[in-house]
Amino acid sequence: MDIEKIRKDFPVLSRMVRDRPLVYLDNAATTQKPAAVIEAITGLYRNYNANVHRGVYLLAEECTQAYEDSREAVRRFINAGSTEEIVFTRNATEALNLIAYTWAEANLRAGDEIVVTIMEHHSNYVPWFRLARRKGAVIRIVPARKDGELDMDAYRSLLSSRTKLVGIAHMSNVFGTINPVKEMIALAHRQGAAVVVDGAQSAPHIRIDMQDLDCDFFALSGHKMLGPTGIGVLYAKSSYFKSMEPFLSGGEMILRVTLDDIVYNDLPWKFEAGTPNYEGAIGLKAAIEYLEALGMDTIEAYERELTTYALEKMRTVPDIFVYGPSDPSKKCGIVAFNIRGVHSHDIGTILDSEGIAIRAGHHCAQPLMIDCGVSAMARASFYFYNTRQEIDMLVKALNKAKGMFGHVA
Amino acid sequence: MSLEELFKEIIIEHYQHPKNHGHLDHPDAKSEGSNPLCGDELQMEIAFEGDRIKDVMFSGNGCSISQSAASLMTEAIKGKAVGDARRIMEEYKHMLQGSTYNADMLGDLEALSDVKKFPARVKCASLSMAVLDQALQQKK
Ligand SMILES: Cc1ncc(COP(=O)(O)O)c(C=O)c1O
Repeated sequence: MDIEKIRKDFPVLSRMVRDRPLVYLDNAATTQKPAAVIEAITGLYRNYNANVHRGVYLLAEECTQAYEDSREAVRRFINAGSTEEIVFTRNATEALNLIAYTWAEANLRAGDEIVVTIMEHHSNYVPWFRLARRKGAVIRIVPARKDGELDMDAYRSLLSSRTKLVGIAHMSNVFGTINPVKEMIALAHRQGAAVVVDGAQSAPHIRIDMQDLDCDFFALSGHKMLGPTGIGVLYAKSSYFKSMEPFLSGGEMILRVTLDDIVYNDLPWKFEAGTPNYEGAIGLKAAIEYLEALGMDTIEAYERELTTYALEKMRTVPDIFVYGPSDPSKKCGIVAFNIRGVHSHDIGTILDSEGIAIRAGHHCAQPLMIDCGVSAMARASFYFYNTRQEIDMLVKALNKAKGMFGHVA
Repeated sequence: MSLEELFKEIIIEHYQHPKNHGHLDHPDAKSEGSNPLCGDELQMEIAFEGDRIKDVMFSGNGCSISQSAASLMTEAIKGKAVGDARRIMEEYKHMLQGSTYNADMLGDLEALSDVKKFPARVKCASLSMAVLDQALQQKK
């Protein structure tokens, strides 16, 4: 990969921040956008904007085609069997809520069990927590081991015929751990449970294959993989989508409405009420094409190399504690850490003064923070446009932060 | 903006060696608050004697700004009449908002005056004031 050439594709990467070149290391929160994505969006508004699935005129045809082409791009990207299985949402959070309020609402009963991991982002925990409250269902938590990987023995023993739903982060947004979802899905299916995979962090970094994973539901967010904000995807096996009641209702999701009857639209439009975010979908298609041109395997290999380098260099900072797997083959692109004596929030401010953007706080994963015995962590997260030089700058700034707060016992 | 304006020596000193940190044996009022964005957590406990704040302690954890602000704030109001404490808190609020304020009333708290140049950190500096306010409201 020619990183210097790649970086030129991202206009914001050449800007200065506080008189220094921007070092953007908060990619797990959201990624920057290449010109191709920005131009796809402006191109829509300059050339062919019209509401989709409505008009009989050329603009509407072009726009509808572009919207549906985006769906096909997503299908190809995650290797789903059919575009019937691809529903556009606002983000991963909305995709996960859609499952909670439709399939899970209809299928869970009092006493049923929901198994989720300790590593979940709030968006793959809070909807299940609320569902469990509504239904009298029980939540069971898969713990993490000291090395930042899931405790698979515990997972096996939590599964039973009472398990109706399993929720797993494909990749942790804190530890960066890539969880063994394929094996976990097979184990859950043996108990007849449905499996929801939160792919918000994995889809940007590793090859995603619905045929290989065999999960029942998969959620992702466009903005974390070069796409614009406001567009996400819910994949569900069509057998699930077919059995599910609509989520939101109104225009677009119906075929026919009379005063005493309603016929729902075909899949996937049955789950897309109202004018969809076709701007977002068109931007997401450009993002997917960008990723495909680089190749997901190339991206993963480069990021793993970068993560290995980062782990090695960051460990030289005095009093640093790095969370999650220390084996770079078990994770990708994310390093969460604390430095004794310097709160993560202060680290964030000190790094910002050097033009370096990282995240500090609880990362919408408070159960995991509690499990680690902290209230906050700092997190550097990489994407394929980051470089070793940027990691060197990060490490230099971390040493500066440590120096400012001195050495405390 | 420079980091030295934010992380003044006195702020780091109060962060590393906070005053009034811990718990009271018999608090008359107790309150807690957090900054959901960054996970700063703070509890305040107050013992009153008549109209006076006889003692005040804080606990919790968080960044240098939230913790040093709690330390400096408790120092500033300890032993004061409730009305005077409120006036100090009011001046402190003005300072963080970037309005004019009475520096004499604030004393060492003025070390936090440059926090306003770091908008992302103003919440950290305000937390102790908000938690303290809740505790004071419990005074009969
Ligand atoms: C693992 C994981 N799941 C879900 C989400 C939620 O994504 P969004 O806020 O785009 O819905 C995030 C975002 O931080 C995440 O990291």
